[in-house]
Amino acid sequence: MSIHRLALRLALAVALVAGAAGAAWAQQADTSAVLNLATNADPTLNPWTPGAVIESNLINTILFDQLTRYSPDDLTPVPALAVAWEAEEGGMSWVFELRQGVQWSDGAPFGAHDIAFTFNDVVLNADLGAQSASQFNTIERVEVIDDHTVRFVLKRPFSALPYYLASFAGIIPQHVLGDAENPLTVAEFNKGIPVTTGPFKVAEFVPGSFVRLEPNPLHWAGEPQLAGMIFRIIPDPNTQVAQALAGQLDVVTRLSPNVVASVEGSGRLEVLRQSQNLFFFVAPNHDDERFADVRVKQALLMAIDRQALIDALLDGFGEVATGPVAPMLGALYNDDVQTYAYDPEAAGALLDEAGWVRGADGVRAKDGQRLEFDMPTGQFGDLVPATLLVQQFWEDIGVIADVEIKEWNAYIQEVVLARNYEVTVAWWSMPPTADVAPYFSCSAANSGNNIPNYCSEELDALMDAGRAALTLDEQVEAYAAMQAFLAVELPYLYLWHPDILTAKSVALQGFPAITAATAFQHAVDWYVTR
Amino acid sequence: MIEYIARRLVQGAVVLFLVSLLTFFLINLAPGGPSSLIDFTTTTAELDARLKRFGLDRPVHERYVTWLTGALRGDLGTSINQGLPVSRLLAQRIQPTLVLGLTSLALAAVFGVALGLIAALQRDRWPDHLVSTISTLGMSVPNFWLGIVVIIIFAVNLGWLPASGSASIGRGFDLGDRVRHLVLPASVLAFSLMPNIVRVTRAAVLEMLASDFVRTARAKGLREFSVMLKHTMRNALVPVVAMLGLIATVLFSGSVVIESVFGWAGIGRLAIEAANGRDYPVILGVTLLAGAIVVLLNLIVDLLYAVIDPRIRHD
Repeated sequence: MSIHRLALRLALAVALVAGAAGAAWAQQADTSAVLNLATNADPTLNPWTPGAVIESNLINTILFDQLTRYSPDDLTPVPALAVAWEAEEGGMSWVFELRQGVQWSDGAPFGAHDIAFTFNDVVLNADLGAQSASQFNTIERVEVIDDHTVRFVLKRPFSALPYYLASFAGIIPQHVLGDAENPLTVAEFNKGIPVTTGPFKVAEFVPGSFVRLEPNPLHWAGEPQLAGMIFRIIPDPNTQVAQALAGQLDVVTRLSPNVVASVEGSGRLEVLRQSQNLFFFVAPNHDDERFADVRVKQALLMAIDRQALIDALLDGFGEVATGPVAPMLGALYNDDVQTYAYDPEAAGALLDEAGWVRGADGVRAKDGQRLEFDMPTGQFGDLVPATLLVQQFWEDIGVIADVEIKEWNAYIQEVVLARNYEVTVAWWSMPPTADVAPYFSCSAANSGNNIPNYCSEELDALMDAGRAALTLDEQVEAYAAMQAFLAVELPYLYLWHPDILTAKSVALQGFPAITAATAFQHAVDWYVTR
Repeated sequence: MIEYIARRLVQGAVVLFLVSLLTFFLINLAPGGPSSLIDFTTTTAELDARLKRFGLDRPVHERYVTWLTGALRGDLGTSINQGLPVSRLLAQRIQPTLVLGLTSLALAAVFGVALGLIAALQRDRWPDHLVSTISTLGMSVPNFWLGIVVIIIFAVNLGWLPASGSASIGRGFDLGDRVRHLVLPASVLAFSLMPNIVRVTRAAVLEMLASDFVRTARAKGLREFSVMLKHTMRNALVPVVAMLGLIATVLFSGSVVIESVFGWAGIGRLAIEAANGRDYPVILGVTLLAGAIVVLLNLIVDLLYAVIDPRIRHD
């Protein structure tokens, strides 16, 4: 048999196999399927409107394409509205090449002017106070190079920019919102039928009831495999689970750990243990001189049985944090850092060494000052029980925490913004990058997201090195050093990384399991088997 | 009569003014602020910009005057969290609440009066004890728990009824479908409203049965049916109607829970969302609407007294 004939036969075999696989898929996918999802309140259909948070994030991820999105394999940024990008001038600017031929859902052409509008006129306009604007405060401006090329000009290097652009950073239409006095509060857009670029578009929005999506035939990746989606507005999480069990919901995000067994037992649903670059912590307020001695913080962390907290609060769905960066980041995660196993005796010895010794009342004191802290907490999720458990662990080593429970918004105002606390339990959720500067840098202390008001020039230099590192190898090196520093100095006492639990119908396929945000960024690939 | 109604309406307007004043200052003095202005990542600079944009950086009394001036012209302001006019939000949400509330009230009234009557006629016998047990359960079992339990039984396990919402999506108007969605929330709400009606009906019927005119009616040789309907029930209904008026006002508080559990897009859920999110204009709008309904219902109940009991005059 000649080489030529062999190649022909091989090509024929490959074509047959591929054709068979395609036919199998065509038989499998039910293109008439409408997917039912839940959200806990009326969403705001503009990703930058203040208050568009948990109830709006996932539906907005489907509706508003971003410049980049996360790879379902390793969470690196991959093309969405941008097809290529590179850093210039040593990382002081980034040029993004936009996808050609993209149209808005009303047929208007999408282009560089929409990127410039979204960032220059909305996100960077301080008067509007756009949601998550502080994440982009390293951007000076966006320049339009031509219809399909933009340049992000930075104030200082920001190597994680492509990651942050994939994190709830949807592009909004200039031709619709450009003339609005405030593009963030246009009711017909936010609560009606917005003009979007995503694979699905809004067909109907009945306040308090549901938002119905239909395929966007103009989408750049072609039409999706579903006939539509319905986001039902169901405030009560128990009702969401009951509806899923009754077969009326196909996806429930942020599932409570205590219902996992019953959901999995239904046979119709499976539970995905998804990750997120999210860590819970105890923040020590560094304005308090007692935290100037790092041994105090190390002892406080050693006194907390974090695995017991995970077991008690999360039914085991989480892992002990060694720092702010979650292990899901792979190469960028450094596990070779100082760790603090639960050891109340060693914690007590460390406090003794630091001069904090038990008094007659069992409480530690030094120079007449007691080791007693104001520990306000907010009514949200597991914060109150977590705070009370930490309080008990500390009591065992002679440290008193005076817990005060506050209404959530009041907590944010008094504790997070005004820094009126000594220790407090909270969490940060970040894009899947090791760039944690917004939560640790000196520039974010006192008024930004650096809640503990921790400031170290050495740490700033390490984080700047990471931001200036443009290759993965350079970033791995820079961020390994940063994580080693953070594990010793403990600006925050790291508690745990929780698993994010999502229940989905077993019939729903093409749904990336890696993170919820990534799954929704790839909604165009979802399909339901017959 | 017309003078009486006019006087009551003027009194009602004063009540509403006081309600608005009290609500406005209370919600503004409460800790926290509108949730759309503040979240965990908000920085001080962002918060300041947002407060300024919504005029929340001005003193409370100044804001109240601005709001009142608008309200007198029929403008209840714009929701801070949703960006929609408050009047539009109220208009969207009032109909589902009325459907749910009136259905529950009707169910509670029919079953409450019937059970109360049975309990009175079978006093101290097993039907009385059974009714008493049902009433105690209705009064003590929390709505949110009962709601979840009936969803699990009738929607999840048996699959007979939908778990949530007021209609199937994309079906258009279908009366049967609407009724199926209404059964569970209306029944749960009615179950919690019914005990008061049972109790009042039972007491009133017992009182009437022991009264002189009922004894006289029986002595005259009237048929028992006539004694019960014309003499006993008609007189016993006065306190029942008064109770219905009171219950109608607590329907709002009941619907707050029921609407959340059953995903019912009504005023109750709007109220709880607005309260949780510190959406000041919406809280004021809902409070005023609830206040207006209470004022009107009280007036209607007072007028109904005169219809049921001709001895009562409003001249």
